[in-house]
Amino acid sequence: MNPIQEYELQMTRRQLLHRGRGCLGAAALSTLLAGSPQANGAPGPRSSANPGLAELPHFPGTAKRVIYLFLAGGPSHIDMFDYKPAMEKLHGTELPDSIRNGQRLTGMSSGQKTFPCVSPMFKFKQYGERGTWVNSELLPHTASIVDEMTIVRTMNTEAVNHDPAMTYINTGTQQLGRPSMGSWLSYGLGSENENLPAYVTMISRGAKAGQALFSRLWGSGFLPSKHQGVQFRSGEDPVLYLNNPNGIDPETRRQMLDGIAELNATRFNDVGDPEIQTRIAQYEMAYRMQTSVPDLMDLSSESEDTYKLYGDDSKKPGTFAANCIIARRLAERGVPFVQLFHRGWDQHGNLPKELTTNCKSVDQPAVALVKDLKQRGMLEDTVVIFGGEFGRTIYSQGKLTETSHGRDHHGRCFSTWVAGGGFKQGFDYGKTDDYSYNIVEDPVHINDFNATILHTLGIDHERFTVKHQGLDAKLTGVESPRVVKEILA
Amino acid sequence: MRLLYLSYLTLVLSAFTIPLRAESPEILFDRDIRPILADKCYFCHGPDKEHQEGDLRLDLEPDARAVIKAGAPNESELITRILATDDSQMPPKEAKKELSADEISRLKQWVEQGASWSQHWSFSAPTKTATQAVTTHEVIDELISKQLPHGVLAAEASKEKLLRRVTYDLTGMPPTIDELDAFLADRSPGAYATVVDRLLASPGYGQRMGLAWLDAARYGDTSVYHADGPRDMWGWRDAVVDAYNKNMPFDQFSIAQLAGDLLPEADQTQKILAGFNRNNGTTDEGGAFAEEYRVEYAVDRVKTTSTVWMGMTMECAQCHDHKYDPISQEEYYKFFAFFNVSSDGGMQTRRGNAAPTMDVPDPVKQKELPAVESLLAASKTRSKEISDNCGPTLEKWIMNRKLQETEAIPLPKGCLLHLPFSEGKGKKVKGELRLDKPASDDSPSKPQITADIKGKVEWIADRNDSTLKFNGSNWVDAGSIADFERTDSFSYGGWVKPAKNGSQGAFIAKMDDGNNYRGFDLYAGESPVSVHLIHTWPDNAVKVTTKKKLESDKWQHVFAVYDGTSKASGIKIYVNGEEWEWNIEQDRLKDTIKTPKTLLIGSRHPGSRLKAQVDDIRIYDRALDLQEVQRLADADPIAELLAIADAERTDAQTETIKTYYLTTENEEYPELIKNQKEFQSKIVELKKPLTTVMVMGNQAKPRKTFILNRGAYDSPTDKEVSAGTIAALPAMKDDAPKNRLGMAQWLFSAEHPLTSRVTINRYWQMLFGRGLVSTPEDFGVQGDFPSHPELLDWLAVDFRQHGWDVKRILKEIVLSRTYRQSSVSTVDAYLTDPENRQLSRGSRFRLQGEFIRDTALTLSGLLNEKIGGAGVRPYQPPGLWAEVGLSGNPRFTQDHGDKLYRRSIYTYWKRSAPPPSMQIFDAPTREKCIIRRARTNTPLQALVTLNDTQFIEASRHMAERLMREGGKTTKERLRYGFRLATSRYPTPTEIEVLQRIFVAASKKYSDTPEAAQELLAVGEAKRDESLPLNEHAAWTIVSSSLLNLDETLTRE
Repeated sequence: MNPIQEYELQMTRRQLLHRGRGCLGAAALSTLLAGSPQANGAPGPRSSANPGLAELPHFPGTAKRVIYLFLAGGPSHIDMFDYKPAMEKLHGTELPDSIRNGQRLTGMSSGQKTFPCVSPMFKFKQYGERGTWVNSELLPHTASIVDEMTIVRTMNTEAVNHDPAMTYINTGTQQLGRPSMGSWLSYGLGSENENLPAYVTMISRGAKAGQALFSRLWGSGFLPSKHQGVQFRSGEDPVLYLNNPNGIDPETRRQMLDGIAELNATRFNDVGDPEIQTRIAQYEMAYRMQTSVPDLMDLSSESEDTYKLYGDDSKKPGTFAANCIIARRLAERGVPFVQLFHRGWDQHGNLPKELTTNCKSVDQPAVALVKDLKQRGMLEDTVVIFGGEFGRTIYSQGKLTETSHGRDHHGRCFSTWVAGGGFKQGFDYGKTDDYSYNIVEDPVHINDFNATILHTLGIDHERFTVKHQGLDAKLTGVESPRVVKEILA
Repeated sequence: MRLLYLSYLTLVLSAFTIPLRAESPEILFDRDIRPILADKCYFCHGPDKEHQEGDLRLDLEPDARAVIKAGAPNESELITRILATDDSQMPPKEAKKELSADEISRLKQWVEQGASWSQHWSFSAPTKTATQAVTTHEVIDELISKQLPHGVLAAEASKEKLLRRVTYDLTGMPPTIDELDAFLADRSPGAYATVVDRLLASPGYGQRMGLAWLDAARYGDTSVYHADGPRDMWGWRDAVVDAYNKNMPFDQFSIAQLAGDLLPEADQTQKILAGFNRNNGTTDEGGAFAEEYRVEYAVDRVKTTSTVWMGMTMECAQCHDHKYDPISQEEYYKFFAFFNVSSDGGMQTRRGNAAPTMDVPDPVKQKELPAVESLLAASKTRSKEISDNCGPTLEKWIMNRKLQETEAIPLPKGCLLHLPFSEGKGKKVKGELRLDKPASDDSPSKPQITADIKGKVEWIADRNDSTLKFNGSNWVDAGSIADFERTDSFSYGGWVKPAKNGSQGAFIAKMDDGNNYRGFDLYAGESPVSVHLIHTWPDNAVKVTTKKKLESDKWQHVFAVYDGTSKASGIKIYVNGEEWEWNIEQDRLKDTIKTPKTLLIGSRHPGSRLKAQVDDIRIYDRALDLQEVQRLADADPIAELLAIADAERTDAQTETIKTYYLTTENEEYPELIKNQKEFQSKIVELKKPLTTVMVMGNQAKPRKTFILNRGAYDSPTDKEVSAGTIAALPAMKDDAPKNRLGMAQWLFSAEHPLTSRVTINRYWQMLFGRGLVSTPEDFGVQGDFPSHPELLDWLAVDFRQHGWDVKRILKEIVLSRTYRQSSVSTVDAYLTDPENRQLSRGSRFRLQGEFIRDTALTLSGLLNEKIGGAGVRPYQPPGLWAEVGLSGNPRFTQDHGDKLYRRSIYTYWKRSAPPPSMQIFDAPTREKCIIRRARTNTPLQALVTLNDTQFIEASRHMAERLMREGGKTTKERLRYGFRLATSRYPTPTEIEVLQRIFVAASKKYSDTPEAAQELLAVGEAKRDESLPLNEHAAWTIVSSSLLNLDETLTRE
């Protein structure tokens, strides 16, 4: 990293105000901290603890924050969004070579002798003003707000296995060691909130625990670790090590911290290293997090209407529905990037049953989140993304029976929807062929998509670079992806 | 707020750049100009042939001269195009590489001053600049002082702080009170040097150096991709620590890391160190393309090797010519070719180590080996003596024997499992099982097992009583027994009557067909007899097959004996007590043959069913000898031999009779033979490896290397390349082997400009918090220009000239006055040069996470100083592995007892979910090579040291120390605790603050003893119950506060 940027990142407000050799008592400190901007909803100035880069945003964006609902495992675009009535005629027929077109198959189905196409075993209907097809059995709630969202049907990626594909879409490259999207945003845009991290992740599961996740998916790669996603968890310790140990009450903790701050301030007077003041500030922020995070995670103040909106699951901590409410609360508090990982979307077999379970746990909450943000006036500057790392094949993996089948991984096209934050409302983008196998029109590579997300946040993805090992590393890779302006309002 | 921030930034910017420029108004091409050209121009006018616009290359001097007129910026197209405002402007607007005003003025100045040009600094060999000073540490001071504004170094740090600094830097641990007192008391001029020698000789030194190496080597205990399953590379990690402690010269160390497997006559250590490039992540994902990952592993090895030893970002040239440095895509693939011939596969296991591996012997057992070997030798000498002298009595015995009936010899003892097949009916087979070794055959009640017959049951009365018929669709499952390893010796077999036309099948097998046939078996039928011992078939397995065939429809006794050597030569196959010759079909077993599958008779899991009648199966967990097998085969071993006329017997036949005689008639001989068997099995036991380590290995038939189009594994071009290095660097010697070994040796040739510089720079970074080059991973054109180029070069040459002696060079650096400067300074000084680039003061930076945890363990007295061994799992919050693991697995199981208190280098490193208390302190995941850790300061870090069980437990044990060792009064104890944590005595003010904490906590816990009880129950280590509860709790609060002081967390 550029040393100046690096240094800038270390600066805190207190350093700026106290460049002199003055002693900084704990009392003075708490006065200072009391004025921290943390108002609900209202976009405040950026936190001094994480101010982001001075040159960002490059231009006024349409969004201030992103909530990414990431369905890990490869949700079946065919069974959810990319349906065509003509598919029914293809059911049971062999996938033509002209469609497969030499496409490499994963090791799991490359040994199959036949590749029979499967038309979705679900009902579909047309919704919204544009009459877009959505699975009416599994996604009734989603169907009800299609006029709110853009559905991109031509997302594509080169990767066809989970580990590389998830790493790719989250970090812009299949190579390990790169920062994730949320880390980039924490680094670049910083956060308004003094008391919460800029990038929060939560994990829940659907039909099964399923495919592995990796801390690198929310890791900070070569950026400082303070930009890595902080995982919030249900249960007593929502952030690792948040709670005081047994036998230490808040009063004792406060007395300890006051003493530590005083000793540290003394040391600062003797040594002169501003990093000591940063440490004092970080201990204070830790103390505040001990209150602010449980407050955030405590949903008891939410109204019955909210629970009704998000569905029955939302009262159960750790579910996708409960996490969606927390995501909204984080957004209200100015946290710029929240990512919910929902596991279990890898249906190599038993697809109709497992997909039903999965959709049931995400359909209502995801839609509720959009509606909730809208009713609070936040949807217009919040981007909500709903999608996974790739899609699934039209052909059956394993045996095709009357009621069941599987589908293998498919990276050539898949569907993601996005709402709010300056995206078009009620819009479909991109066309795939009759087999939902190849893109016919308007491809959106995952890096094009990420570049577009950055664009809504006022970031020119080509200029948002960090020197790493002699290169200008970017979230969007080296292939010069494009901002898909067609899907922006 | 924003405004204030911006104006401040300007201030920092100018503060940062002005001093440099003010001292050296002269423009230096390498420092001031090339970085601009590289950053703003090389993308289109650099080494990448595919992006060369207008046939202009600004990385080559002659090309560049065409657009520069020295001394006349206004007549130089380079400058006029930069200044242009029309379409001719460079760089073009759409490139988004705008030049700053400062950059433009520097370029103009440079042209004005004559546009001097030089080769990129790091590509020419370093030389020693002339200095007045002689010793290395004085040279450091001379060259550092030279660049200081007033030419004077800061005052020396206090003795206490200096000891603390150097102890952390060289061992990763704080000094003890005794060490502090000894150093403070030693007023001799050599006191400090003595300390440095002591630290370099302590085991902590190797652990500290090893820890830094683990980041570079991307070391972990799991496989990274997909399932991220377990592997065992800790034998390699321990060898690294040991090599540092033994001060293995860095060239030898490195050559072993890169090519220990290729060194002629490599010793054990060198071979183990060759695991360096097997630490890369590997995949087991079902759908993965093996070739894609195999290529990825080679790419990773190129990247890691070039980063660690050359500070070069070679990976850029995987897809196209390097945009900044002189590395063409072809050269990349030449270097790639060194690794493209590796024999490990693209798909590797999610369970344990993948081939090639090597055994790491157990050093403790190795020490016992010579004694047992000499006992064996002595016993053999004695038995030979008896044998040599028995001639006369033997002849007499032979005479008598011919006249007698044969006596019954007892069956061989110590049978692990016996299945007699005497039931004659039902779906169950009963067997006798010996559970533990000491149980003897004579014990009154033997444990029984019941094995199930699967499939059709067909008992046939035959041989002595009943026998079981196998027809190709039934088998017997004997359960989880006979779980032998390839290093165990064992024997197994029984009676078999092959069906007519019954081809080969599994007679006895514990083998998993689904996992590359892992396990062992005995394969028989109307056919030859085979034995398989398999890790993965066929590349990592032993198979022998007899030359003769069994006969059908006839009872034959078939028995295999294996001696635990992992070699075909260790297998004997006996039929009716006669050893049959065999042919070797595979003889390359290197890894485990253990499988969780059960032992089957008549089948494997699930194939190769036997068609035969079977009776009386026995398995021994030792190697039987000939006579024992003969006894089982009901063969009278010598009747036939005695029938031969004395004169016509061969020597071998005579020897057999003699052995039989001695075994049955001699008083001493059987005991000797028994002892010898015991010694032999003891030797086999002692030779069992402690662990295995994955190591590099090259293919027997090396694959060819082709340039990959845009780096894609599935788009090879037809351009074949052979292994080689980069033209911009000195050539490999003509007679050097063109493989990894030759490449490794090339890195250490005297002319190589990078290796020693890059290494010295890493050491500098370790000791000062920042390298002389701040981008230790990039010494290329885009990297940082050295803050002290002459010093870097001087040290680089010095390091090489002194035989790459690591301890020596570290000692010299820490002896320098530069290193010993105090870090006490002014706020202004810290703000002007926050990174201490000019080294005008001692460096001050946060300890890395491992050191912080090790400090808490040390100060509490809980530290377990054990060196080496498998990774341990100390406390961590629950659920972290399951939340990310494949199908929620594996689950984290915490260790207990003294494993909770090992140094952090021994913490189990799961790379998809690394230990959180380390990761929060910027430890990398270790998925990729990292040679510079970030160093942040975050609230999450405060939460770790305030609340993590490990730190609270350490606090309450530190409290016990204060109460026991600290003195009687509160003040004495506070002083003691403060000194433990910071190495210095507290000031009265500091004592006052600590006392306040103590008094408040004392009151709290007197009022609420139940809270004290709770606090003192955190963690698993027992509390000293003799200490009063509330007082102990209050001291725990004091200790925890001390552990959280900035000064405790910082090396200064």
